[in-house]
Amino acid sequence: MGKKKNATPEQLQYQELEKKHEMKRPVVKNCIKAFLVGGFICFIGQAVSYFYIYFFNFTEQTSGNPTVATMVFFSMLLTGFGVYDHIGQFAGAGSAVPVTGFGNSVISAAMEHRSEGFILGVGGNMFKLAGSVILFGVFSAFIVALIKTLLIRWGVI
Amino acid sequence: MKRKWFLSCMIVILALLAACNNDGHKEDGLSLIKATHPKPMSFDKETTEEEDLIQSVQKDIEGFEEIYDVAVLKGKEDILVAYKVKHLQRFHMKSIEKKMKEKLKKKYPKETFTVSSDYKIFLEAVELEENMKDPNYSNEKAEKKLQEIIKLKNELT
Repeated sequence: MGKKKNATPEQLQYQELEKKHEMKRPVVKNCIKAFLVGGFICFIGQAVSYFYIYFFNFTEQTSGNPTVATMVFFSMLLTGFGVYDHIGQFAGAGSAVPVTGFGNSVISAAMEHRSEGFILGVGGNMFKLAGSVILFGVFSAFIVALIKTLLIRWGVI
Repeated sequence: MKRKWFLSCMIVILALLAACNNDGHKEDGLSLIKATHPKPMSFDKETTEEEDLIQSVQKDIEGFEEIYDVAVLKGKEDILVAYKVKHLQRFHMKSIEKKMKEKLKKKYPKETFTVSSDYKIFLEAVELEENMKDPNYSNEKAEKKLQEIIKLKNELT
């Protein structure tokens, strides 16, 4: 959508018409849904984390890695069974922002391109969306680690 | 649809319950939700001097307002101090640990302390203390277990 300043009179007229018929987005309701569902996913994550602390040799510090792997695995299963789509429709960002959204994006892309074959279809498209998560995740981690190393070198922290 | 739901739920529940048939724990199983106040223990030599030392260490640690449960174990050389921080004070975990280490170092300069707020370390300490009540549990075994706990505490990945 262009800026209002450069719009022609017809465009302005159309925008007004659009506004009249456009349904209002229930932002607050969506936020509450996302908060509750996202919170529930994190609650399950906390339970999984305590499960690893309790029954395996993981401390609070080290239990993060297996917990993330387990949550991604759960969401992959749910995506495969078609359950996660419904959760995503209901909760929006609440299901996409936690790490489970990562598993969902990997498997849904793989399922979508299955008809194109295993190499070019599944293999080539699996990380279509998750690839950017990995790339920018690794890159920002590198930058943060660099800053921390420099700060420690200089004796700031 | 319903069958898929049921199947995915079953897999998740099965995965969670797979390792739950562990009946080795008694008291320590509850230490997640309530304060257990384990007795401070020394398993090197049971002199009154040693007893006084660990009693006074425990008293000092319990003096911190941010803490609600402490376990103190003394081996041949190392003293393990595991504690649980009140929930709203968990933001200041690092500063509490620093304060505690400084206080202990000042008051007992000859001893080596391993201080941890990790829940797993506390759990293991309570388990070891429970095991010590059994007269068949040898001091060597206990010392070995203590070293294992300290090693676990220092593990970061």
